[in-house]
Amino acid sequence: MSDFPTLQTSRRDFFARTSDGLMGAALTHLLSSDFFGGQSALGSDVSVPLDLKSRQGHHPARAKSVIQLFMNGGPSQMDLFDPKPVLNRMDGKPFPGNVEEIGNQSTAGIGVMMGGQYNFSRHGQSGMWMADVLPHTAKMADDICLINSMWTDHPNHDNALYKIHSGRLFMGYPTLGAWTVYGLGSENQNLPAYVVLNDELGLPKNGTRNWTSGFLPPTFQGTRLRPTGSPILNLKPQFEQPSAVTESARGLLNRLDEIHKKDRPYQPELDARIETYGLAARMQLSAGEALDIGREKPHTLEMYGVGESTTDSYGRRCLLARRLVERGVRFVQIFLEEQPWDSHVDLGPNHRAICERTDKPVAGLLRDLKQRGLLDSTLVIWGGEFGRTPTTQKSGDVYTGRDHNMQAFTSWMAGGGIKGGLSYGQTDEFGHAVVENPVSVHDFHATILHQLGLHHEKLYFNRSGLEERLTGIEPPRVVKEILA
Amino acid sequence: MEAKDSELVFETVIAPILKAHCVDCHNPEKQKGELDLTTAKNFLRGGESGPVVEPGDPEHSRLFELVHRGEMPKKGGPLSELQVETIREWIVAGAEFREAPKVTENLPTQHDVIPVMLLRCTVCHGPGQQQGELDLRTPVAMKKGGKSGPALVAGNPDESLLIQRIESEACPPREKLLSVFVKRPPSAEVKLLRDWILAGAPEVETAPDVATTEPDTLVSEEDRLHWAFVVPQRTPRATNSPINVDEFVGAGLQKAGLDFSPEADRDTLIRRAYLDLVGMPPSVEEWKKWRERKNSDWYAAMIDHLLASPHYGERWGRYWLDLAGYADSEGGISADPVRTVAWKYRDYVIQAFNEDKPYDRFLLEQLAGDELLDWKKADVITDEMVENLTATGFLRMGIDQTGSRTMNFVPERLGVIGDAIDVLGSGVMGLTMECVRCHTHKYDPIPQRDYYRLKAIFQGAFDEHDWMSFKTRTLQVATPEQRKRHAEVNPPLEAELKSLESERKRADVERQMTILREHYPEQSAEENQETLVALKKADNQRTQTQAILVKKFVTADLLPDAEQPKAVLAARQALVDIENRMIRVRSEMEPPFAIRALWDRGHPSPTYILRRGDHDKPGRLVGPGVPSALTDGRTPFEVDPPFPDGTASTGRRLAFARWLTRPDHPLTARVMVNRIWYHHFGRGLVRTLENFGVKGEPPTHPGLLDWLAVEFVDHGWSVKEMHRVIMNSRTYRQSSRISDRHLAVDPQNRLLSRMSMRRMDAEALHDSLLFVAGKLDDSTGGPPDPVSVDRNGLVSVNRTLKGGWRRSVYAQYRRTEIPTMMETFDYPEMGPNCYERSISTVSPQSLFLMNNDHVRELAAAMAARIEETVVGDGESAPDSGAKVEAAYHLALSRPPSEEERRLGRETFIQLQREWEGSMTGPLEAYCHTLLNSAAFLYID
Repeated sequence: MSDFPTLQTSRRDFFARTSDGLMGAALTHLLSSDFFGGQSALGSDVSVPLDLKSRQGHHPARAKSVIQLFMNGGPSQMDLFDPKPVLNRMDGKPFPGNVEEIGNQSTAGIGVMMGGQYNFSRHGQSGMWMADVLPHTAKMADDICLINSMWTDHPNHDNALYKIHSGRLFMGYPTLGAWTVYGLGSENQNLPAYVVLNDELGLPKNGTRNWTSGFLPPTFQGTRLRPTGSPILNLKPQFEQPSAVTESARGLLNRLDEIHKKDRPYQPELDARIETYGLAARMQLSAGEALDIGREKPHTLEMYGVGESTTDSYGRRCLLARRLVERGVRFVQIFLEEQPWDSHVDLGPNHRAICERTDKPVAGLLRDLKQRGLLDSTLVIWGGEFGRTPTTQKSGDVYTGRDHNMQAFTSWMAGGGIKGGLSYGQTDEFGHAVVENPVSVHDFHATILHQLGLHHEKLYFNRSGLEERLTGIEPPRVVKEILA
Repeated sequence: MEAKDSELVFETVIAPILKAHCVDCHNPEKQKGELDLTTAKNFLRGGESGPVVEPGDPEHSRLFELVHRGEMPKKGGPLSELQVETIREWIVAGAEFREAPKVTENLPTQHDVIPVMLLRCTVCHGPGQQQGELDLRTPVAMKKGGKSGPALVAGNPDESLLIQRIESEACPPREKLLSVFVKRPPSAEVKLLRDWILAGAPEVETAPDVATTEPDTLVSEEDRLHWAFVVPQRTPRATNSPINVDEFVGAGLQKAGLDFSPEADRDTLIRRAYLDLVGMPPSVEEWKKWRERKNSDWYAAMIDHLLASPHYGERWGRYWLDLAGYADSEGGISADPVRTVAWKYRDYVIQAFNEDKPYDRFLLEQLAGDELLDWKKADVITDEMVENLTATGFLRMGIDQTGSRTMNFVPERLGVIGDAIDVLGSGVMGLTMECVRCHTHKYDPIPQRDYYRLKAIFQGAFDEHDWMSFKTRTLQVATPEQRKRHAEVNPPLEAELKSLESERKRADVERQMTILREHYPEQSAEENQETLVALKKADNQRTQTQAILVKKFVTADLLPDAEQPKAVLAARQALVDIENRMIRVRSEMEPPFAIRALWDRGHPSPTYILRRGDHDKPGRLVGPGVPSALTDGRTPFEVDPPFPDGTASTGRRLAFARWLTRPDHPLTARVMVNRIWYHHFGRGLVRTLENFGVKGEPPTHPGLLDWLAVEFVDHGWSVKEMHRVIMNSRTYRQSSRISDRHLAVDPQNRLLSRMSMRRMDAEALHDSLLFVAGKLDDSTGGPPDPVSVDRNGLVSVNRTLKGGWRRSVYAQYRRTEIPTMMETFDYPEMGPNCYERSISTVSPQSLFLMNNDHVRELAAAMAARIEETVVGDGESAPDSGAKVEAAYHLALSRPPSEEERRLGRETFIQLQREWEGSMTGPLEAYCHTLLNSAAFLYID
């Protein structure tokens, strides 16, 4: 037991109660929830119920929610987190090994070794290395655990994205977020359990498949909340109608459905359906309230960079993420448009620009969560689908960027029972491949599930005779060394 | 210490455990997983996945892994913790034997080498091309060699060109690795080649593992007795045996002390039958016709009328498309390339259902249409040949990324083949096959070998070592008539399209420039030009300057319409106008000849079992065959090339299809009648539609299932006849009301004591909304209706040129762009297919029906229709009661109840008061509500 101290939940419980109070009595006793009637469609053999009611995991949890800051495109580990003096010295020289070992399918257009693009220094009491393009994140170093020894199995974006999100190289499998809410449900029945905050400038590479529920019921897929306009698709009427008419129409619908139901006793589906209209109405209120950052204090907004042109968009989403987990949302993902980290060209200025967009908001999020006592129970994850090569790559006529590298990359975690100030794992002297304490994507997932109180082996879904798991068939390893 | 260690030997600690818990299944007679654990020697030999222990490494030892996870033993529960620990300790200590059995190290043979050649070499030195005049497919050809001499010198690897080329990395050549999708052989493979050559390149005579007249060692007689593997039993013609659906169902009810529910009222039956058979409610005229008909046979006549409707095939064909995993795109990669002619298969299916094509013929065409007629050598291509080839699209529906630049390696190809086998297994055979790809089925008597025999069936067409990607795997086959029409109609339209395309490009540039000029007047012409250049580049290829320019552009472009200058809106409209003209021209064109088919190419590579499903772990050679449990186990599978004097074709799929459609096949008819039953009742007689195996649910009414299966075959595999048999029954015509007694005795309706109430599926809802609104464009077939994606990600189907929308089956279903409404109401992700849709009841559905503007638009159209009909009836202003009445007739095919009528009128008056000044608003809001109601969405 002592391995799993119980969560400090009082603050959030208190908030949830007051929030209900603020929203009026109507919300207080509304029980869930969306209903999933087609269990027969799924075979009887599932490990947990198919709804979104909050439930216990397999063991005591260290984290209640996850915020995943997904860095699509593949940030460069040797430029940001994993300094390589030897590589810097070799700048401009040819790759010393066989170019096929670089690990990409094509060996055409491979340039020479490229030293790190930015200066590094040590930060925090732990002396964690971080590049000077991440000044704000660096201040939070003692809360962060860098995993420098991540590796994956495919050098293409599409497949590596499927892998990092769903544990498989192909489309159609449930993502980490979907598995999480399948396993744990949600603590707030008036908001989606699994929320995606995508960039206004566009969807990430692979689009909505980054948050699909795959073969799990659609109840478990990610729901996009838009920071502007109608937060959920069709949340508000898309046509003009006096509000009194809307009210009367809703009243009529209730009456009609009651008449229908009265004549058809014992049909739980009809009840469930009526309830979905109730939930839809509550969601209109709750989502509006959750997304309204107007009541945040000015210094909070400043901390996230809201209001500054470079950081405003990402800062708003980081702030929303906090507001959502505060309200019991289980899993929040923030994406950037397309794949901005994919710097085949102009890596130096391009990476710097994305750091400028995200660094302050990310640090603001960590600091804010910590101040509010939420970091203990919120696991924050930062990282992309793979890393980058130590060599440059020809693109057009220039050699100014790095290619994809599946053999090593850095992700970091903070909060949720993760040991802060730790730099875990080692890469070789070029940052090209892992040499110590490798962490596979399955290990990564198993560790996240572990912190949420879920056991990767016990969390399964039976699909046409196959027990499907996020972490596949070969047993993964929970990276115990990074747990606090 | 010493003494204890010495006791830790196989004979003392392991053998007793095996004897007590394992040898029931793993013995010489019943080699489950091809594993015999009765002797130390066979223990060491291992099973289909290779050795079961890795000395010193329990984590990588199958034995430990499986008992540790509790997956073994299957019978008698998991081993005790102590036993598991003992096994672990024994492995850690080196897996020692007191007397190590002599395992003769098998020398490698050509069957170890050929898989390596296939994987690494034959793409340049094989069936397609023989570079350097070298063919490496057989030892004979290897020894013969090419221009540079023999590929190998038996007994001398160092002197062998094969080894030299590989070790110097001259082969496979670096610059070609990616273009031919080959990876270098790892050192273990090179060592294997060396060992084989060193041993003198021995060849052994090995016949492929196929069914023979000898009893099968891997599948027992007992295994064959599972109910679904036994031929359906014809009901004995005894005096008191059931002779129709109701007698079977009635017997079950009687036993439980229940009786049939009363027959549903006529309005309910009409609506039920229409939605069931054609997926839309009746028109008011048709509804009135049936409800007023005096003849007692009105019901049977209505069923016949519906079965003759062309809308029937659109409804029931769609079910089959789910089963096939129909999609209009390849999937797999983010570009999600569109399958431009997949629709031909969709039309084939719809037509087959409308024609009531016998189900055995339907399967024959889909599984082996290419082997029915020799189209390659035909003087004239006939309609039948085109139809046969189109039908084989059934096997081409899975996700296929093999046309991409980087995803066409053998594992991806095996994925395509695996999908085809899964679709066939889960959809047609009622067997889950996916797991057998890697290991013998955990529950069903399907050894891994049987999966690879099935794979060999497909090898003539789907050969992972001689692959055609989706880009090349199409046929250009057309009848003379098609060619003639094409030549007449298309050339002028193509010319028009070409000029429209350049207009479109200009208009697009103009749109971009207008946005820049209007939003950033200060930006220089050079910067504007640079923006246009940058927009054409992928985002990861832009310089920092370009990235900034693009971001500026996109930010402006994404502003809502209300914030856009008029000039921008005009420029956008100009572009849309041109695009619409292009759509119109395209719609007038004759379709291309391309057929997305599967055809045998006549020279399959040998098929090897892949241990644990790994493409580079070949096991033994197998030949084509069918799952042994479905046969008597001692009859060889006969294959004859279909065109002995014509085109080379293996005939394997044809032989398979003929076996599958034998009248006495234990599964084929049962699985299909169960599916038909499922669509009528919302639940199969066998609940697990895709799994008739040991882990599937047994039938609730086994006698009825078999009776239906026999009837089906006796009636020439006619699907429409099955509808008649089922729908005319008393069982089907029951009311769906649940009584207290039902709840107590038959809560899940397993006994069919009533009809099941059901929610409309996505198609029925979509099509019914259109139909009720009078917005259904009922033209059929042809290329799918394009969809648009708005900036919020809402995917909607475009209006047709007639101003309405076609039935949902004709929309474009790109995997990444499923129309939002369909997805919201459980249109499935095809992975690879969908044998049963889930039915969710979630709030996005309510939000969609309440707030979506398309639904509102349809409600408004429905209101307009009501205004028309009601006004047409009299001189004076119609009262709201008449409108309420008309709305019920139109949407629900019944009159309102007294309460509903009163409620409708009251609300209507209230709405008029609340929406003063709006002529149409109140009735629109009323209709919109009705379309949201449970009465509309649920079918009694």
